[in-house]
Amino acid sequence: MSELDPVIHAQARLRITSALATLDLGDSIAFPRLQELLDMTAGNLSTHLRKLEDAGYVDVAKTHQGRTPVTYLALSKRGRRAFEDYMDQLRSLLGGTA
Amino acid sequence: MTSASDDAPLDPAGMLELLERQQSDVHRRTAKLIPWILFAWGVTWLVGYGALWLVDGLGPAFSLPLGVAVAVFVGLMAVSVALSAVLGGLSGRGMKASKQSNFTGAVFGCTCSVAFLAIYVVGAQLSALGMPAEVANVYFPVMYTLIIGILYLVAGAIWRAVPSVVLGGLLAAVALAAGFSAYPTPYLVIAVAGGGVFLAGGLVIALWVRGRFGIPQR
Repeated sequence: MSELDPVIHAQARLRITSALATLDLGDSIAFPRLQELLDMTAGNLSTHLRKLEDAGYVDVAKTHQGRTPVTYLALSKRGRRAFEDYMDQLRSLLGGTA
Repeated sequence: MTSASDDAPLDPAGMLELLERQQSDVHRRTAKLIPWILFAWGVTWLVGYGALWLVDGLGPAFSLPLGVAVAVFVGLMAVSVALSAVLGGLSGRGMKASKQSNFTGAVFGCTCSVAFLAIYVVGAQLSALGMPAEVANVYFPVMYTLIIGILYLVAGAIWRAVPSVVLGGLLAAVALAAGFSAYPTPYLVIAVAGGGVFLAGGLVIALWVRGRFGIPQR
């Protein structure tokens, strides 16, 4: 049994990747909306997002709406694959079929 | 900015439970305005189609003037369309669709418009060919209800939403049931059963949003 992916295997980052995985492939969500859905502080969310971005699991796109900067976040293909592998590993660890 | 508990994993069962709870929570939070859209359509169908039924449904004891019934129907439809657009926009705030998702949404939107227009054009042509008013009064409400049911089924298939599939199937069944009755009964069937499907759907989604039970998402 290989080790569970340490990037996802932390409560906060698992919550973030789980939430982002509910979006369709390629769709993204603005930082404040994700923060609202997760009930996390901006600082905490930013810290964990940076770890996910560094691992290539989250795509970050900075844009503007009028003069307001907006950051959109999405699970990358690599991140989605890692999340699905993580989920399969958890289920097989618990005796289910992966 | 992170706490020890944020970084610490739970045991595998706890992590799987956290994952599933988080996804369910996101689905519930993003759907919290959906019940209001369904309630609006439920009232619109119940009162709007009910008004059309009252034109001849209780005759000769009572008859709602046709102009009043049509005004009630059209007015409520307009309110529900506007409310759906506003609440739908609020539900999707902060979300950006990919090109593929935008394409899917645009094609689905065009399909709805084409379907509604086609029913009108075919009905108008049948009327021009001599379809009696009593038959037209079965054709139009039944066909519109049927196509709305089918569109909910298609939407459920595209966006993998089980509640939409159930709603669409029930509306299609209501349309078929209404089609077996003569004017003005289809209006009553669609008002009560069709409106009832929307109201019941709104209630079920509202209870689900409040965490009373689970609904399979996909």
